[in-house]
Amino acid sequence: MRSSGLEAKIGIALLLVLILIALFAPLIAPGDPLAISGEAMLRPFASEAHLLGTDRLGRDVLAGLVHGTRTTLLVAFFSAAAALVVGSAVGTISGFLGGFADTVLMRITEAFQTVPGFLLALAAVSVTGPSVPTLIFAISLGNWTQAARVTRAEVLSLRERDFVAAARTMGMRPLEIAFREILPNAFGPTASLAAISVATAILIEAALSFLGFGDPNRVTWGSMIAEGRTVLRAAPYLSIIPGIALVVTVLSVHLIGRGLSRTQRLQS
Amino acid sequence: MTDSYLNVRNLNVSYGETAALKDISLQVANGGRLALIGMSGSGKSTLAMAVAGLLPKQARIDGTIDFAGHRPKLGSDIGVLFQDASGSLDPVMKIGDQIAEVVMTHLGMSWISARVRAAELLDRVKIPKALSRLNSYPHEFSGGQKQRIALAAALAGSPSILIADEPTSALDTVIQRHIVDLLDELVKDDGLTLLFVTHDIALASERADEIAVLYQGELVETGPASQLLKEPKHPYTKALIDTYVSVDKPRSRRLPEIDMARLQA
Amino acid sequence: MPLLASFFLKRLIAALPVLFIVLVGSFFLLEAASGDAVDAYIARSGAMDAEQIAQMRTEWGLDKSPLNRFEAYVSALAHGDLGWSTAFERPVTSVIAERLPVTLLLMSISTGLAFFAGSLLGVIAGAHPGSIRDRILSTGSLALYAVPGFWLGLVLIVIFAVDLRWLPIGGIESIASGKTGFARLGDIAVHLVLPVSSLAMVYLALYLRLMRDRMAEIWRDPFVKGLEARGLTRRRIVWRHVARNAILPAITMLGWQSAAMLGGSVVVESVFSIPGFGRLAAEAVAKRDTPLLLGVLLCSAVTVIIANLLVDLAYGKLDPRVRIGR
Repeated sequence: MRSSGLEAKIGIALLLVLILIALFAPLIAPGDPLAISGEAMLRPFASEAHLLGTDRLGRDVLAGLVHGTRTTLLVAFFSAAAALVVGSAVGTISGFLGGFADTVLMRITEAFQTVPGFLLALAAVSVTGPSVPTLIFAISLGNWTQAARVTRAEVLSLRERDFVAAARTMGMRPLEIAFREILPNAFGPTASLAAISVATAILIEAALSFLGFGDPNRVTWGSMIAEGRTVLRAAPYLSIIPGIALVVTVLSVHLIGRGLSRTQRLQS
Repeated sequence: MTDSYLNVRNLNVSYGETAALKDISLQVANGGRLALIGMSGSGKSTLAMAVAGLLPKQARIDGTIDFAGHRPKLGSDIGVLFQDASGSLDPVMKIGDQIAEVVMTHLGMSWISARVRAAELLDRVKIPKALSRLNSYPHEFSGGQKQRIALAAALAGSPSILIADEPTSALDTVIQRHIVDLLDELVKDDGLTLLFVTHDIALASERADEIAVLYQGELVETGPASQLLKEPKHPYTKALIDTYVSVDKPRSRRLPEIDMARLQA
Repeated sequence: MPLLASFFLKRLIAALPVLFIVLVGSFFLLEAASGDAVDAYIARSGAMDAEQIAQMRTEWGLDKSPLNRFEAYVSALAHGDLGWSTAFERPVTSVIAERLPVTLLLMSISTGLAFFAGSLLGVIAGAHPGSIRDRILSTGSLALYAVPGFWLGLVLIVIFAVDLRWLPIGGIESIASGKTGFARLGDIAVHLVLPVSSLAMVYLALYLRLMRDRMAEIWRDPFVKGLEARGLTRRRIVWRHVARNAILPAITMLGWQSAAMLGGSVVVESVFSIPGFGRLAAEAVAKRDTPLLLGVLLCSAVTVIIANLLVDLAYGKLDPRVRIGR
């Protein structure tokens, strides 16, 4: 279907733009985005110096958007990556070893799935305090279970195949077989999961910063929305604009994810 | 010609560039039984589906399929039986309801009368304790039973022609016999016209009045069953019969791949 | 024992190891927090001298070893005691019991809306896969699924509460209105419109997709040909057969969605100032109220397990190929 190719391309294009914005943030919007740079509560497109207006303290909205891209992408990618790595490892070990180890690991996975991911992130942040590395950890806590289940299912179906038996007769140690032979093959379906993980991570990070549990030293879209909430009647655009950025980012990730899962389905 | 129920004239079916059926013409008499035989890929199923009106949208159809003057409706004029019985029944609906809804759609009965009729039909296809089985689901039955249920559903709208596409190929030989006997009985009782597709030439010879042989989308030969087998005119038919009809050979052997080029050389 | 009761019992027993892991994990995770409830109390209420601090620690059992405290917690738990909330200065159980019903109400209405509206639209889209209707609905759902719930809430507030003034800005009912009976129900209902919409929208998109994709798959299933061959109307095939088959995966989703929705209720309740369980979690974190947070985590796990149980039960009734207890 041609439409799916177009979708994925749009997604990739959008994401590339966002990554570029994040990388070149200091060039696009020089200076500290949290610093007061002008008159307070300027409407968008009212002044050339502040294309998207300013908030109630006079901070530039565009600068906030641009620098917020960094936090969003940073936290989202790394927490999704961590979740995938840990999840795949757990799934591989669990599926390959089987027996008691498998049961225990699966129970633990279930436990992590039973508590809502957002609450896990909240609890983790309450323990570690809010900063980018801890946020990455906190968000990945809720995200890794999907990867574990998918990888385990793949491993279980691959385990009985010929190339594994061959590796065994060659004398490879079990864990070696698990990671050298099985994991690379099991990785396929996990890849399309990656997009969902990233999207979820973006939204959780935004919600955490909205509630005030994000990194206080960084500007994030979530915190901008929260700031805008205090003057919602007078200046709704302050909350609306960062949200649009969020929607566009998550949408691009979803489009890529759909493209990935379609190619994967065509290949299988 | 005047009492032929089905008249196919110069039928061509193609999918894009590939021709599936080339210039097929044949007739079926009212109440007659026609067997379509051929290898896989010969176009026999395509022909059956074309007559039924169940070809996919991408198929291009040229020529005429004439049903004694009127436009037939699926379900009420044409009944279809497929090869894979579990593939024609909805897995999450009770079989009684599935048959009853066909009855309601075509015979305009109320739900209760339709259910009673469904039980009658199940009884006719020899499902034991039909009334109590109305509330059972397809997965509770064996393959042979599911095929009977599918047959009941196909006949529920009181069609005048039954098109069966390899109805017994997926079943084991003992069950095959039962289904084929059942088909015979129903066709005779209701005066149905029967068009069935099979690769089993022995079956065709037993249960059909006329046989049509297809090879690579072309109609190679047609004729009365007994005549065709005793005096086949076309070399392909001859080859088929020679290699196949033998008392010792098992019934369900697939037709061998015959290379026409080699034959004509 | 009747089949249903034995099913419940079996599932609850199977859930115990998981709950235990949640208990152990949460307890020791929160243990790792530097600074305990006493520090939080000091931060709020001002400094105390060393003796008072030590006394408070003993009172709250914070001077014992983690393992001892875990034991104490578990034995209290066995008696239905979830500890003492330092922020609310009440037993945790009473705080949770007060706040949970509102959230359960919010969640169940949102789930119902998301599931039924989403599935309905999914059937409409899936009735003719590839049609314009389908394309519009699918693209729309993709966009909707990318929307953060709290932002949607704010947008809805701006449109409906601020600009149009049709609906209230927040809260669960009008304060001190003295309404009772049906009038009160109506008041609460009005207050729930926007929060439910915010919470439900995202999941509506999910169920739409799920239904639509599954229907597109089922159209390729051979039994559809059989149905067409019997001359059934397209309408009947779509609604009575294809949709009926397609809804089954959506139902299994419901169970796990409850976990996501519970998480979502935290922000939605904050945006709409609703005194619910979700917002309680945020407050517990903000006020460093460890016993409360622990209680919240445990109750969430129990809620999700029960939701899954109910969903599996419903699924067993709807899919004749699955029989509960066999």
